Amino acid sequence: MKKYLSTFRMRWKMETQYRGAAIGGIVCQMVFGLILISVYRALYQGNPQSMPLSAIVTYVWLQQAFFRMLLSSDNDLMDKIRTGGIAYEMCRPVNLYGYYYARIMAMKLTGSLLRAIPMLIVASLLPEGWGIGAPTSLPALLLSLLGLTMGLFCMCALENITMGITMRTIDFKGFQALLNLLMATFSGNILPLTLFPDSWQPIVKLLPYAQLLDAPIRIYTGETPVAQAGEVFLIQGAWLCIFVALGLFLWHRNTKKMIVQGG
Amino acid sequence: MNTIKLYLHSMKMLLKSQLQYPWSFCLQTIAQIVMEGGEMMAVLLIVNRFQSLNQWTGGDLLFFFGIMSITFYLTECFGRGITGNFAALIRSGNLDTFFLRPRGIMTQVICHAIDPRRIGCIAVGVAALVIGSNQSRVIWTMPKIFLFTEAVLFGMLLILGLFLIEAVFAVHSVKSIELVNAVTYGGRSACQYPIDAFPGPLRVLFGTLAPFGLVLQVPSAVILDKPLMGIDGAWAFLCPLAGVLFFAIMYFVFQKAMKFYRSTGS
Repeated sequence: MKKYLSTFRMRWKMETQYRGAAIGGIVCQMVFGLILISVYRALYQGNPQSMPLSAIVTYVWLQQAFFRMLLSSDNDLMDKIRTGGIAYEMCRPVNLYGYYYARIMAMKLTGSLLRAIPMLIVASLLPEGWGIGAPTSLPALLLSLLGLTMGLFCMCALENITMGITMRTIDFKGFQALLNLLMATFSGNILPLTLFPDSWQPIVKLLPYAQLLDAPIRIYTGETPVAQAGEVFLIQGAWLCIFVALGLFLWHRNTKKMIVQGG
Repeated sequence: MNTIKLYLHSMKMLLKSQLQYPWSFCLQTIAQIVMEGGEMMAVLLIVNRFQSLNQWTGGDLLFFFGIMSITFYLTECFGRGITGNFAALIRSGNLDTFFLRPRGIMTQVICHAIDPRRIGCIAVGVAALVIGSNQSRVIWTMPKIFLFTEAVLFGMLLILGLFLIEAVFAVHSVKSIELVNAVTYGGRSACQYPIDAFPGPLRVLFGTLAPFGLVLQVPSAVILDKPLMGIDGAWAFLCPLAGVLFFAIMYFVFQKAMKFYRSTGS
C-alpha cells in the first residue's frame, strides 16, 4: 500500500507545479459557469419549474468546479505504449493497475481541488441567484463529500478500463473518444441531469456516468434526501466493483500478451 | 490566385494522408457526430422542458444552435492550422522552417493542417438548422440565403481571428492560453443561445468585443423575422462585416507578433 501512496504523492507534487495554468483555467471555467447560469435564468423567467432555480445554479457551479475530475487522462502511459517504454514499467515491483490507479487519482484530485477550492469560494460570494447555495444540512454536506470520494474512485476505475482497451491498439484517439462520448452528456456537464425529462430520471440516475458528479451533487442540493443516501452509495459501490474487476481483468490479460517492439 | 491554388493543393494532400487510416477516421468521425449530437440533445431537452426562451421558440433555438455549430466547425475543419495547437508549432520549432520559405507565414500556417473529421459536427449542425427552420416556418428568399451565407463566411473569419489571439499569446509565451478559451469555446457555448438571454457584461463581450452577436445572431434573427436589438433591413447585411474587421485587426497584430518571434532554438 505504501508504494501506491508514494506514487500518489509524487504525482500530486508534479501536478501542483502548474499554478499559472490553473488560474487561467479557473477564470475560463467561471465564464462557462456564468454563461450557463444566465441561460437557465432566462429560461426560468417565462417558465417556472418545480425545481427551484437556486438548485440548478448550485448544480452548475459544482459541475464546473469539479470538471477536471471528469476530463483529464494520463497521456504518459499512451506515449509509453507507443514508444515501448512500457517494458520498463513492467519491471517495477508493483501491480501495474494499482500503480496507474494511484497516478490517475493524484492527477484528477490535484487538478480538480486546485481549481475547485478557489472557484467555490468566488462562487459563494456571488449575489443571490448567481452564486452557489449552501447545502441543505450538515449531514447532507458530509454525505455528499463521501459520495464525491466514491465518485472519484469510480472515475479512476473507469479511466483504467479506457486505458486497458486502448493498450491493445496503437492509435488511441478513436477509442478514447468513443468511450468518453457519452460522458459529457450523461454526467450532467452539458445539461444538469435534473433537467432531463422526468420519465428518464430512473434510468439516467443508474448509469455509471451519473455516479461521478451527479449523485453527490444531488445529495448536496437535497434532491436526494439524506435518508436515501445509502441507496446512492450502494449503486456507486456496485459500479466501482464492476469497473475495478473489469479493469483488473483487462490489465492482467494485456500484461500477459504484451509484445514490445525493439527500438 | 497562386495562394488559393496552393491552399487547395495542400488540403487535398492532407485529406489523402488522413484517409490512409480509414477505420480510425470513421471511428473518429462517428465520435464527433455523437459528441455534437449530445449538445443538440441538450437543446432539444431544454425545449422539451421550457418550451421557449424569451420570445424565441424551440425552432428558433435550434436555428441558433445550427448556425453556430456549422460556422464553428467549418472553421475548425479548414482553419485547423490556427485553431489547432499553434503553441505546439512554436514549441517544436516547426514554425522556424516557415520563415525560410518564399510564402507568407499565415498562408503556411493555414495550409499545414486540416480536420476533416469535423464533417460529423457540421452534419449535426445542418440537421439542427433544417429542423429549426422548418419548425419556425422560415421562408427562404434570395436575400435570406445571401444573408445566411454572408453570416457563416464572416463568422468563420471572426472565429479565426479569435484563435489568432491565442497564437499571439503563444508567441509572447504568455502561459494563460486556457484563458483565451473563454472567448473562443465560451463564445460558441454562449452564442448557440440568442444573446438577449445574457446580462449586460456578457452581452457586451459576445455582442461587440467578440462580435458573435453582430456577425451570426443579427442575421439569424432577421432570417427568423424577429429582429434582434432592432436591427433590420440593410443594416443587417452590414453587421457581419464586424467579423471581417475583427479578423483584419488580429491579422495585423499577428504579423506584428511574427516580427517579435524568437525561435525556441530546438
